[in-house]
Amino acid sequence: MTRSRIDLQDLLFGLFLVAVAAGTLVATRNLVIGHAADMGPGYMPRVVALALMGFGLFFSGRGLWRMRVGIAPVQLRPLLAILASVGVFALTAERLGLAIASVVAVILASFATREGRLVETVAFAVVLSGAAALLFVKLLGLPIPIWPR
Amino acid sequence: MELFNNLLMGLSTALELNNLMFCLIGVVIGTAIGVLPGIGPIPTVALLLPFTFGLSPASAMIMLAGIFYGAQYGGSTTAILVNVPGETSSVVTCIDGHEMAKQGKAGTALAIAAIASFFAGTVATIVIALLSVPLSMLALKFTAVEYFSLLVLGLIAAVVLAHGSVAKSLAMVLLGLLLGLVGIDVSSGVARMTFGIPALSDGLDFVPIAMGLFGLGEIIANLERPAERRVVSQSIRSLIPSGKDLRAAFPAMVRGTTLGSVLGVLPGGGAALPPFSSYALEKKLARDPSRFGKGAIEGVAGPEAANNAGAQTSFIPLLTLGIPANALMALMIGALMMQGIQPGPQIMTEQPKLVWGVIASMWVGNLMLLVINLPLIGLWVSMLKIPYRLLFPAIVLFCCIGTYGIANSLFNVWLMMGCALIGYFFIKVGVEPAPLLLGLVLGPQLEENFRRAMLLADGDFTVFLSRPISAVILGVVAILLLALLSPEILKTRKEALAE
Repeated sequence: MTRSRIDLQDLLFGLFLVAVAAGTLVATRNLVIGHAADMGPGYMPRVVALALMGFGLFFSGRGLWRMRVGIAPVQLRPLLAILASVGVFALTAERLGLAIASVVAVILASFATREGRLVETVAFAVVLSGAAALLFVKLLGLPIPIWPR
Repeated sequence: MELFNNLLMGLSTALELNNLMFCLIGVVIGTAIGVLPGIGPIPTVALLLPFTFGLSPASAMIMLAGIFYGAQYGGSTTAILVNVPGETSSVVTCIDGHEMAKQGKAGTALAIAAIASFFAGTVATIVIALLSVPLSMLALKFTAVEYFSLLVLGLIAAVVLAHGSVAKSLAMVLLGLLLGLVGIDVSSGVARMTFGIPALSDGLDFVPIAMGLFGLGEIIANLERPAERRVVSQSIRSLIPSGKDLRAAFPAMVRGTTLGSVLGVLPGGGAALPPFSSYALEKKLARDPSRFGKGAIEGVAGPEAANNAGAQTSFIPLLTLGIPANALMALMIGALMMQGIQPGPQIMTEQPKLVWGVIASMWVGNLMLLVINLPLIGLWVSMLKIPYRLLFPAIVLFCCIGTYGIANSLFNVWLMMGCALIGYFFIKVGVEPAPLLLGLVLGPQLEENFRRAMLLADGDFTVFLSRPISAVILGVVAILLLALLSPEILKTRKEALAE
């Protein structure tokens, strides 16, 4: 942890909320607002978005104003490996089947740590893939192909 | 007498062979994830939700409930033997439980933990049965106005009593509410914030969101920390505690159970807050407080009883009012809705078999846990030897498959990936994701009741204050919020949660 001149945690969270609120206001600009007795579909989203905007501005302001400990640096390795694992599963599951998608997803995920040994990981991935196919497709009846179509 | 009949009806549901089996599956899975640090009950329940479609509502709820209270048992095993809390609720058990293990009394500590949990579980089951009827009678008087106020109270209280910054938690609730609004508006049929994606028109599924925020985000953050070496060195000799130990532990058990039962019912309650409070209480009451931290048996018995009682009584608001006390109960609400059951005050009269079956199954499950945990302790200990480097890819894979299974849609897998990134961001900026889940699940109900109330009152906002029940509820909300502004209470809260 490093000391920083601004409260980065508050600032980032605040900016995130402002962005979400602004996005909502833009996305719902065409919805009917209506009035309190007869609310249109746009009433609640706008109320919530405005409240979020308020919180966002508050946190951003507070973040700039007070001093706090900074954020521990982001490590890209685990982040990218896990996201890639999920992404590749989404891309391959229906096309290549559960068996192949599972093996690839497990191997990719285990890149998140440096501790893994390749042989062990591959063997584990194959076993896990078999177990998953057996459990989810055969036993629980999940409608997903096991092999490429 | 009615209570007795109800419990009997519940027992007959809980003792059906297939329900017994699902209860067993639930508590075994619960114990397993409780023992393993790094997987909590929330992603586990989310993961199993898609596969409860085919079950009857009672079986599904019995199994999912078993996971929750089973995890409290398992968590203490890891806490005592390895000094790593398997769950947040067993953090305090580490202090004296592990100390006892170091002194060669691991078996006694484990046995006391299990007995305390069983005792608390039994009492909590009775408390649920006793409180359910009057509460649901009261709830039947509720209209949209009262229900809206109650939902607000649930959300606010959950935020105030949970840990983390209150302002940030409120923002997270709003974020959850906003996500809950995505989809086709029920009253006008207009698509809101769907960005033209057909998969969004039914609204966002909460399972991928829960798994991304709680499961995957947590894994990514865990992997950033240097790997810890876990050593299970203590051998377990005698599992049977001496009469002296039991006598010392019993009063603590009773106090822990009482405290846990009360704190569990409160919104925002559950299994995390009670053990801390119980530990503080035991330390205060002890004749010689210096024993605490050096293997005091009361320091194990009290908190263990408290977390189990709290875990179970947090079902009360859910079963009677349809309001979740914490993020896990929000998932349970989701499970009910997936079964086509609208959670709310009417659930008790419309689904008595389900409600009482779940209540009775808790006691049956606690009995199973006692058997599963004590004689089979060696099995659970050996599970601790599975290294994290093998565990987390397996969790990632199961999350992917489970998310896909909820609607057989790849969109949900992508949604989970996005939520994993956001969950990681939340951990980095130090925000608790639990309030978001509450907001997400309650959002649609909140909007529906608000709009209905406004329609009935012709747009008059004072209706929430002119109806007595609603006014009282909102008064409590106001007191809670005002209390937070008082610096003294703020300080005590900080201390209570930091301890």
